[in-house]
Amino acid sequence: MKTAPKKATRIKAGRIQRANYKWIYLFLLPTIVIFAMFYLMPIAQVFVTSFTKWDGFNAPKFNGLTNYINLFTNSSFLIALKNLLWWCVIALTLHVGFGTLVAFVLYQRPHGWKFTRTVFMIPNVISAAAWAMIYKFIFNNDFGILNSVIRVFNPNFNVQWFYKSPWAFWAVTFTWLFYAVIVTLVVLGDLMNIPKELNEAALMDGATGWQLIRYIQLPLCRASIGTSVIASLTSRIAMYEQIALTTSGGPGDDTMSLPIILVKGIMDYRYGYANAVGVVMFIIGLIVLGIVNKLFRMDEADY
Amino acid sequence: MKIKYKPWAKVLMYLVEAIVIILSVFPILWVIMSSFKTNGEILSSPLALPAHFSLDTFIDIFQKYSFPTYFFNSLLAAGVSTLVSLLFYAMGAYVIAKFEFPGRKLLFALFTITLLVPSHSKTQPIFSLITKLNLYDSIWGVTLVYLSAGMAMSIFVLKAGFMAIPKSLDEAATLDGASFFRTFWTINLPLAKSALATAGILMFLGNWNEYYFASLLTVSDSQRTLPIALAFFTSEFSYNYTQLFAALTIVILPGIILYALAQDQVQASVAASGVKG
Repeated sequence: MKTAPKKATRIKAGRIQRANYKWIYLFLLPTIVIFAMFYLMPIAQVFVTSFTKWDGFNAPKFNGLTNYINLFTNSSFLIALKNLLWWCVIALTLHVGFGTLVAFVLYQRPHGWKFTRTVFMIPNVISAAAWAMIYKFIFNNDFGILNSVIRVFNPNFNVQWFYKSPWAFWAVTFTWLFYAVIVTLVVLGDLMNIPKELNEAALMDGATGWQLIRYIQLPLCRASIGTSVIASLTSRIAMYEQIALTTSGGPGDDTMSLPIILVKGIMDYRYGYANAVGVVMFIIGLIVLGIVNKLFRMDEADY
Repeated sequence: MKIKYKPWAKVLMYLVEAIVIILSVFPILWVIMSSFKTNGEILSSPLALPAHFSLDTFIDIFQKYSFPTYFFNSLLAAGVSTLVSLLFYAMGAYVIAKFEFPGRKLLFALFTITLLVPSHSKTQPIFSLITKLNLYDSIWGVTLVYLSAGMAMSIFVLKAGFMAIPKSLDEAATLDGASFFRTFWTINLPLAKSALATAGILMFLGNWNEYYFASLLTVSDSQRTLPIALAFFTSEFSYNYTQLFAALTIVILPGIILYALAQDQVQASVAASGVKG
């Protein structure tokens, strides 16, 4: 009984809309063109040519899995994968953990919470290239902040953080480790959406502040934590500026990343090889998304 | 909510705030402060305040290098691409939000799945495409590439924005004889302004600070954006630290000023981008 009138209106609306089809597709056209030019065609090209030997001038020559075999037997590539794994683990625990901690602290509205939230964003409105340079100076042996402070206690201290194994890995890591403002803002936004009554009811029932966080608030913002985990892991796959402008992947291959190898491939006119790196990045991205979606049960509603 | 915090909890909260403020502000203050020091001062007392205040270094590098050009290039690439793509994505999101048509679900899925494509993985095809279009080493090539950035996020945010506008408004407008385009332009677009601001701010920030494609697609001085100019200076000035710090200051300041002017809107945009992102 209920569906009958609904259906009638839908058919009526459909007739009006059919007259609009030319407008609808006209409106979609620009987005479709951009999608085709910058996503569909490039991705297809990357996939196809990753199975070829191609210098960009002569026609690509099919060479099967050679690029992939070369990649997976190349020690730089394997180190880049190992680095990526470590960076993902660090991002998942320390980076997202710190961002979430800050969100929960700001949610309590201590003095200065708005100021803290405002200035936390500053490193993110600056170009990653500039931020990498700033850290190159902070970790500089001659005049950097870090070594100047250490020398107050130990005047003979000398370390070139970005050029010395094993420090270089940690120096590169530090350039993004605590700058988790995106995590903080996204989680804080979710926390502020929790209905007041829910918190009050829990407190009335005698929950302690810690229990409130552990059993009510933390589970309720799992979707936003999941979102920030995806964002943070995606940026780990794409780490370029922080490395290219500080260590260029060195010392040795200590801070090697996939984009650095990809760019090197293009500079050497090994386009097929570079595109094989692109395919690997693409697949890793898909795997990350699948795992995080499952882990945080992001498609389930809460309220 | 009335919670009594234990003393250690209060200490922890202020400690976290202090760490955040120090890590975010101190590096920038240090860079700005160092740009007023002499090379000798930077090396001998890195943490001290400058002995003299003078703008000579800034005047000097402003005369030697065309910072207005870099600034204008950045503004052009980020501004034009953001405005144009905002209009395009608003049109796309509008019909996806408000109309039923064949391919609606598929197109929405395709547009938003682009979020998962690491942009670096498309380097070679985009490099080849821009070269083929004869836009290599031109700021317009960079602008064109920036059009595609932020597609998934914008479509998502804008679709939600348009869906929140009651359909009765469109129907009333149609009855009054408003055309398809007019209903979009004069009724829906103004009402979706907060979604437009969110998408626009996030795209502009991303494009303003973009380094990777700008560095691959330009070589000559006249086409450099601010981040590219900065990277170029490191090799150019190498041991003139005062000039390096001054260049850094000039490059980071516009972004910080823009943020200072629109801080609430920027923060709200970042928070909104994560909701069911």
